[in-house]
Amino acid sequence: MSSSDIRDNDGPSGAITGIPDPIAEGLARGWKVRGGPHGALPERIDCDVAIIGSGAGAGVTAEMLARAGLQVLIIEEGPLKSSRDFRQRESDAYTQLYQEGGGRKTADQAIPVLQGRCVGGSTTVNWAGSFRTPAETLAFWGERFGLSTLNFDAMQPWFEQVEKRLNISPWLTEANANNQVLRRGLEKVGVPAPTINRNVKGCWNLGSCGLGCPTNAKQSMLVTTIPAALDLGATLLVQTRAERFELQSKLGNSDEREAEALICQPIQTDGSPAGAPLRVRAKHFVVAGGAINSPALLLRSDAPDPFNLLGRRTFLHPTVASCSVMPEVVNGWAGAPLAVYSDHFLSTQAMDGVIGYKLETAPVHPGLVLTNLGGIGSKLAERARALPQTAVLIGLLRDGFHPDSIGGSVKLRRDGSPALDYPVNAYLLEGARRAHLTMAEVQFAAGARSVHPVHELAQDYRSWAEAKAAIQALPYKPFITGFASAHVMGGCGMAADAARGVVRPDGQHWQLRNVSVHDGSTFPTSIGANPQMTVYSQAARMTAGLARRLNGREVRLFSPSQS
Amino acid sequence: MNATPMSSPASMQRRRFLKLGLGATALLAVAGAGTALLSKPGLIEGRLSAPSRQLMRAITVAVCGDLLPPEGPAREARLARHMDQLDRQIAGFPPALRGDLGQLLTLLGTAPGRLGLMGLRSPWAEASAAEVQARLQVMGHSSLALRQQVFHALRDLNCLVFFNDPASWALVGYPGPRTN
Repeated sequence: MSSSDIRDNDGPSGAITGIPDPIAEGLARGWKVRGGPHGALPERIDCDVAIIGSGAGAGVTAEMLARAGLQVLIIEEGPLKSSRDFRQRESDAYTQLYQEGGGRKTADQAIPVLQGRCVGGSTTVNWAGSFRTPAETLAFWGERFGLSTLNFDAMQPWFEQVEKRLNISPWLTEANANNQVLRRGLEKVGVPAPTINRNVKGCWNLGSCGLGCPTNAKQSMLVTTIPAALDLGATLLVQTRAERFELQSKLGNSDEREAEALICQPIQTDGSPAGAPLRVRAKHFVVAGGAINSPALLLRSDAPDPFNLLGRRTFLHPTVASCSVMPEVVNGWAGAPLAVYSDHFLSTQAMDGVIGYKLETAPVHPGLVLTNLGGIGSKLAERARALPQTAVLIGLLRDGFHPDSIGGSVKLRRDGSPALDYPVNAYLLEGARRAHLTMAEVQFAAGARSVHPVHELAQDYRSWAEAKAAIQALPYKPFITGFASAHVMGGCGMAADAARGVVRPDGQHWQLRNVSVHDGSTFPTSIGANPQMTVYSQAARMTAGLARRLNGREVRLFSPSQS
Repeated sequence: MNATPMSSPASMQRRRFLKLGLGATALLAVAGAGTALLSKPGLIEGRLSAPSRQLMRAITVAVCGDLLPPEGPAREARLARHMDQLDRQIAGFPPALRGDLGQLLTLLGTAPGRLGLMGLRSPWAEASAAEVQARLQVMGHSSLALRQQVFHALRDLNCLVFFNDPASWALVGYPGPRTN
C-alpha cells in the first residue's frame, strides 16, 4: 500500500493523520481503562493476577494470562498515548514517554538512563532491535547461576513464538546512511556487518522509533499484547504507581510469606500524587516494572531478602559513543535507527576477560545527540552545524561477567523513588577506551573527515593515526568519559537456589509465594544484546508455567490462529 | 524499610561539597540547613525564580554561543522563549528531580555558592559570556564529581531544551519530523 493512500501530511507538526489508531478504537469498543484522563480509580480491585508494568515482560504476561481465562489487571505508572500523540518531536517524547521526564540518571549523575514510562514501557520508545539471547550468555547463566535448563536450545521455541507474534525479521530495506557508515567501516577493517532483526510491520522508515511510532508499525506492547489482553477483558490502570505490597506477617522461622495486597497511588504525569490510594487484592502478583522500578517496589515493601541480593547486580550495558563528520550528507535522523551491528568485539576475548562491546548506531536527532555530544560555545556550535554530515556509532559494554563488573544497586531516595547507584570503575573505563579506539578506526575506514569520541577532553581528530595516539593518551575517568544507557537489567536476578538469586528460574520470588518477577530485572548479568527479545521470551516461558500453576491451562504467546 | 534511605543527589552534592573543602566559612553556612532562609529559592512552584532565570540566561549564552541570534531584540526574544521552555521541561520532571535542581539553583544563586561551585567571581547579571564559558570549561574537565554534576546539570538541560526547539532546527540543518 502506498503510504500516501492513508495519510494527510499536515506539515511541520509531525502528526500524521489518517492512520488507524488501535488505542482509540479499543477505547471506543469498551476497553476497561481507568486512571488519569480515563476516570478515577475505585478504592479497591480484586482480580486473579495483578501485573505491575505494561512493557516487554508485562505485555507478554498479560496477553497469555488473559488467554488462559484469568482475570488480569495491568498497572502502569505512565500515561496511555497512541500514534495520534506521537508527533515525532523530542520535546514531547522525552517528557511524556520516558522515566523521570527523560531526566533519569544514575545516582552520581554520571550516566543518563533512557527508559520508557508509558503504556508499552520501553517497547514504545526503543529502536526496534531484536536479538535472540546470545548462546554464550545463557551458557554463563547455566554455569554460574545454575540456570542450565535455560540453554539456547531450550529457549528456541520461546524465541520462535516471540518472533512470530511480533513480526520480528531481518531489516530488508536499505540501511540509512548512518548505518551504511558502520557497514562500510566494518567491511573495510575486515569485520562482518550483519543486518539487524526488527519488530516492525509495514514500517515507513521514518526514524522516529525512539519518539513513539506514529504509524503503529513497530510491534510494541502498546499495539500488540496490551490491546490483545484488553480485548480479552483485562483491565488497565494508567497513571497509577505501585507503591508497596502489604505482606503477611512473618510466620515462625520461615522466610516464606505472601503478598496480601498491593497499594497503588494515582499520580499526575510528573509523578505527583493525584487522589486517594487504591488497594489491589490478587491471587498472584507479577512485578514487571523494569529493572529499576521492580527492585524498588520490593524494597519499599520490605520484601524478605535473606541473602542481601535485592536491587544488587543491576546492569546497564554502559554505552559510549563516537561521532564522525562524513564528507557526504548522512541525515542520521532519517530511516530505521538500527539496521547493522557487530558482535565481533564481544567474541574476540574470553567472556569474563576484558569487557566486550557490541557496535550499533544511534539516531541523530538534535536533542539526543547534541545534548550528549559534548562541547560548549564555539565548539558546540561547530558540531551542531555539522549535524547533517554527522554519523554516530555506539559501543555497548557487556557488563556483569567479570569479578570487577558487579553492576550497580537500586536504592530508595527519601521520598521512596528509586535511584540506581552505578559506580564507573577502571574496568569499565578501560572498555570505554577500547570501544572508542575501535569506533574511530571503523569511522575513518568508512571515510570520516573527522572523529570525535564522546569524552570531555577529546578533540575532533583528522586521521586514524591522530585519533589512536590521542585516545591512548586520554585520561579515562568517570564524568569526563561520556556514558549513557538505554538497557537496564538485573536487580531481581534469577538463580537455581535462593542464595544466588531473588527469583526462581520460573520467575517466582524465592520467599514470596504469590509474587513473580517477569522483566529484565531477572537477568543475572547483562545480555550483550538489546534486551527486548530476551525479556519477551523469558516472560513467555515464565508465564506459560504460571498459567499452568494457577489454573492448569496451557498457553502460548503465539498460536496458529494468529497467523 | 530494609533499605537505608539514600540521600538525594542534591544532599549528596552538598555533603561532598563540604568534604571537598572548596568554600569559605560563609559557604558552609549557606550549604547547611539554612539555605532556604538565607537565599532566594531557585525554583518557585516548579518554575525558575527571577534570579534563576538570570543565572540560566548566562549559562545559555555561554553554552549556545553564536547559535543564538546576535545581541539585540532577536536574541532577547529567543532567550525569553528558551526560559519558558526550560520551565516546561522542569515541570515535567518528577518532584525529587525538581527538588534537586531547585537546591542546586538556590545554591548557585548565592555569591558563595557561585564562587565555591563554579569559581565564578562576577554576579550572574554581570558575568561576561567568556567568563562563564571559561568556568564551565574548567568544570567540564574537572575530575571532581561535584563540579561535573553541576556542569552537566546546567549544560545538558540547556542543550536538550535548545535543540528540541523547532526555532533551532534550521541552524543545525534538521528538517523536523518526517511524514513520508
